[in-house]
Amino acid sequence: MKIEVVRRRFAVSVALIIIATVVAFLIAPTTHNGVAIAIVLDVAVACVATLTLPGLRSSHPVVARAALSMLGVVVVLFVAFFLPSASDFNLATGAAMSIVLLGLSFLTGASGQISLGNSAFMGVGAFTMAIWANHHATTPIFITLLISVVAGALVGLLLGMPATRLRGPYLAGMTLAFAVAFTAILGEFSSWTGGDSGLQLPSEARPPHWLVSLFHSGASPLTTSTLWLTEISIVVAGVAFFFMANLFASRTGRAMRLIRDNDVAAELVGISLPRARVIAFVVSSAYAALGGALWTLIDNSVSPPTYSFALSVTILSLIVIGGIGTISGALIGGIIYAYSTNVISWIVNQTGLNPQGNFASQLNGIIFGGLLILTMLFAPLGIAGAVRHFWHRARNRSSG
Amino acid sequence: MDAFLTSRIIADVLGGLTNGVIYGMVALSLVLIWRSTGVLNFAQGAMPMFATYVGFALLSYHFGYWACAVAALIVGLAVGGLTERLVVRGLYGKPEINPIVVMVGFLIVLEAVAAAIWSSFPRSLPSPFSSIDWQLGGHPVSLSPFTVYEIGASIVVMLLVAALFRFTNLGLQLRASALAPEVSRLLGVRVGRLLTLGWMLSTAVGVVTTILVSSNFFTGLTPQVNDGIFAFGFIAAAVGGLESPVGAIVAGVSLGIILQFVQDYLNSNAQIIVALVVLIVALMVRPNGVFTKSSLRRV
Repeated sequence: MKIEVVRRRFAVSVALIIIATVVAFLIAPTTHNGVAIAIVLDVAVACVATLTLPGLRSSHPVVARAALSMLGVVVVLFVAFFLPSASDFNLATGAAMSIVLLGLSFLTGASGQISLGNSAFMGVGAFTMAIWANHHATTPIFITLLISVVAGALVGLLLGMPATRLRGPYLAGMTLAFAVAFTAILGEFSSWTGGDSGLQLPSEARPPHWLVSLFHSGASPLTTSTLWLTEISIVVAGVAFFFMANLFASRTGRAMRLIRDNDVAAELVGISLPRARVIAFVVSSAYAALGGALWTLIDNSVSPPTYSFALSVTILSLIVIGGIGTISGALIGGIIYAYSTNVISWIVNQTGLNPQGNFASQLNGIIFGGLLILTMLFAPLGIAGAVRHFWHRARNRSSG
Repeated sequence: MDAFLTSRIIADVLGGLTNGVIYGMVALSLVLIWRSTGVLNFAQGAMPMFATYVGFALLSYHFGYWACAVAALIVGLAVGGLTERLVVRGLYGKPEINPIVVMVGFLIVLEAVAAAIWSSFPRSLPSPFSSIDWQLGGHPVSLSPFTVYEIGASIVVMLLVAALFRFTNLGLQLRASALAPEVSRLLGVRVGRLLTLGWMLSTAVGVVTTILVSSNFFTGLTPQVNDGIFAFGFIAAAVGGLESPVGAIVAGVSLGIILQFVQDYLNSNAQIIVALVVLIVALMVRPNGVFTKSSLRRV
């Protein structure tokens, strides 16, 4: 990188940190010190990350990915402070959804397979979370989340083993059957899953103590509102993105991309196809379960109809529109999910449709289904792929 | 065995046969498309559903059941052909997930549009035959004039498809273009047209099953009428091996009978679970399907 670019960036960063400190001093008397400190920290981390990222990426890729994930988390947390509290819920569900999308993106981008059963794997995580919390109320939240992830991975292993031995659409069809069967399975075990009415978490979920003590005790915005749930979801999503970025770049990830592009060549260089496919499938189910467990935490309850086949279709649409096989696509899909209901009801208002009418209630399906087809036909890598394409073209034109 | 048990078993077998031929037909239509174009058509339930809605819209103009059925068939042929030309044609030779994703999208759009136009409340079609079961020794036997019509129509359609493929020049061309498209093209077969024809045929088969299912007084026609049937049909096709039309039908009928026993002795909730277990076990034991001879794939 050119030396004057670095110098210019450094100057801008220092200026930003100074501005942030001044702003923090100004708002500190009216709000909590934690918020003011957070603002300064946010900006500082952001500046350091942008300064060092290009160099780090080649020398210490893992640290660069950690910095990038942290930057993302910090920016979203920062934005969440200032959005109206009605938006917290959207952000939290969107963050959880982006974890699910990340898993599916890995499965498809890495091994070229596709799953239509992610709604059911989310359900496995969601119900594990609720069941465990009802039986062991004292377990810390993060342990319960991990248990849900393990449950999702085990179910994924069970289903993936037969289906991944085959080429073709078997995995898609079989996961579809699992997604359709899932509500019936929940019904069979109604003494555990609460039947049609689902389960309620034993008590209103409370933020862990260390999170509260980190900021202010008492009436901090972290304890009084649901903001802390949003923060947990965003942080967990950041960790998930960090692991996935490393997995994509690891030896396993590269082996899997070779399978996607040419499975015969992959077998010739000694990659075990069934094993790699099962791993990809298990990872994607575990991620889906994590997203589902977060949803239980956010909603404080879980009900079976949420995890019907329609959710799988939504998940598929989101990741295809965002960019299947890419990491940024999962992020884009999560943001779309967080605000799609708002956008669609805005469209209904603007066009003067009857909100209770047939057409308005089906608008969601028509828009998502149509976008799904158009994206796959004209831009198979979705928004992320299209942006990358134009970025490269603009760059080549300016340099050459 | 006492008379009650006998009649219960007979009732289960006959009831299972009725569902089984439907699953077999769905499996058959999936196999037809899979063999010729390598696309697993996830909209195989939604396309005929849409055609059936359009055809039976004529009911409000005082046309009879059979006229509407014929209209639905014609619309089905058109929907199948147009879908192949406009949506699927660009997907041949692409990675195998592309057609899957596009057909799932098509499924959502068709179901949403159908629900937007005709609402998602069940619409009852006039049944041409009574669905009151006949009695055997004082017990109902799960067989009524309507189920006989259901089974009979399915068998006729299956025989027609078999005859088309086996005894006609067109069927020979269809088989040839599925097996070796390049060679067929060199020999003067219009492969592109035949692929379109394959999609039209398979949608028409789907329309027949949709009409049969939704003429049933208890289900009626809804945008989601084929969702569950599609899942069972796919399971039958996968167990049969996706390559074999005969396998698809046999697997479909067997699945129908097994699931009828499951419903009778356990509950209807357990049906899809048992079907899933059957699929998993079948794929583990015979990964290429029970009815396909093991063969090599491309290298």
